[in-house]
Amino acid sequence: MRNEPLPSAIVTNDTGNTGGSSPSNSPRPKYKRKLSNFLIDKKLQLRYVIVVVVISALIAGVLGYLIYQQERQASAALDAGLEAYGLGEVAQDLAAKDSALIYKMIAVGVGLAAILALFLVIMTHKVAGPLFKVSMYFDRMAVGRLSVVTPLRDGDMLRDFFDTFKHMHDAVRERQSSDVGQMASAVESLRGQPGLEAACSTFEQHVAERQKLLN
Amino acid sequence: MSTPKAQGRGYQRSWKNLLINKEYQLRFTFLMVALSAVLLAGLGFWVQSVAKETTAVGITRIRGEACPKVPEPVAVQAPAATDEPPTNVAVPVPDPDSVGTGSGTGSADAAGSAAPAEPQPKRSRVMIDESSITMTMTLPADFADQVVDHWKCEMRQAAAIAELRRGENKIRLVLVLTSVFLIIGLAIYGIKMTHKVAGPLFKVSLYLNKMRDGRFDKVWNLRKGDQLVDFYEHFKAGHAGIVTLQHDDIAALQALIAAADEVHKATPLTPDQLAKVDELRALVAKKEKSLA
Repeated sequence: MRNEPLPSAIVTNDTGNTGGSSPSNSPRPKYKRKLSNFLIDKKLQLRYVIVVVVISALIAGVLGYLIYQQERQASAALDAGLEAYGLGEVAQDLAAKDSALIYKMIAVGVGLAAILALFLVIMTHKVAGPLFKVSMYFDRMAVGRLSVVTPLRDGDMLRDFFDTFKHMHDAVRERQSSDVGQMASAVESLRGQPGLEAACSTFEQHVAERQKLLN
Repeated sequence: MSTPKAQGRGYQRSWKNLLINKEYQLRFTFLMVALSAVLLAGLGFWVQSVAKETTAVGITRIRGEACPKVPEPVAVQAPAATDEPPTNVAVPVPDPDSVGTGSGTGSADAAGSAAPAEPQPKRSRVMIDESSITMTMTLPADFADQVVDHWKCEMRQAAAIAELRRGENKIRLVLVLTSVFLIIGLAIYGIKMTHKVAGPLFKVSLYLNKMRDGRFDKVWNLRKGDQLVDFYEHFKAGHAGIVTLQHDDIAALQALIAAADEVHKATPLTPDQLAKVDELRALVAKKEKSLA
């Protein structure tokens, strides 16, 4: 994941209010796939991409070299004779054809690497996306917030893991909600008791804080 | 996630455990391998057609280069024993088969070959009538060199063609080998790399299951070489946040319970209030248990 802290605009609750360490009243932006967002976790994603692209480029390079060698071998057999007969232009044409083959192979190699790279960026994005989302919820949990977990986007991977996370989050939230209800009920009962005003007031603040964190 | 099993702190990587999250790992790897295979098939088809065309063109070019021909030997009439002036007569190269068989029937052969409807016009007719003639084969001075040049050229061409065919086969072999290498390599690499992601996720899933059941145990570190280290830090922070939440609740509850107990000594609480305080005590016990 990112080494830098999460962007403050993303740490928002589901009602549109930001929370945690970055309060703001701006509405929560609906996240959509964008080209600029495809590299969510550069370290994780680029590692795959670089390895696969290098291997593909190597393969295309080796094959290109062999084909060029084959072409050159055929041309070389004629070059000397053509020069001897004063047909230098034909020899130059052959050399130009050989060069064109190199460019073709380079284009094919670059195309192959580009398609694989693009595919891998998209694939790893579908992994990095859910991880990023879960990380956001972990960051909320770090400040005690247990807001509602929204589902993943279509096409995202790691659905099993996300389900496990969601079940945990929902269970903890439900338990905490029940606990807060119990605490609120207790303080309600104790509020009128002489001598307990100060303690009840402090406790009520605590309960209010907890209720706020559940929204 | 696949069925979670107890994961000890000393968990070691093992080939048996490589597929932790089958669905994610196999899907990712399969898609990567499938796309590579499709691209390689396209590349292979193109490379193969170019190699084939290049080889065919090369062979045509080589065959188009004419080799010097082998000169035909020339028969020269040597000075005869007669007084008649010698006549140069060109004769063909003797057929090795006819040399052995025809030697014993010289005159008959000669008579037979003297027929007017001779189908071979180039063949010279030598009429021998009570005289003798000596035929001597003469060759150009550079005959041997020309023969050598011819065959050198032929062999050079054959070698060049063979070399081109070898090259084409080599390209095919490299293509097949690299395709197999890439596909197997990507499959292994894909599973290993996804394992490094699935491993931490599996570990986090175990903790998440514990948290779901209300247990907030100590969180241990990842294995060496695991990915998602930063993600794991986020998880640890989240876990710590929930633990802090529990601790704060316990502290607040204990403070209220202590105050209630204190008040109860001076002014007894109502049974309903006492029941509520007991509920708070049970809540504290539950929260403390979750942190144990």
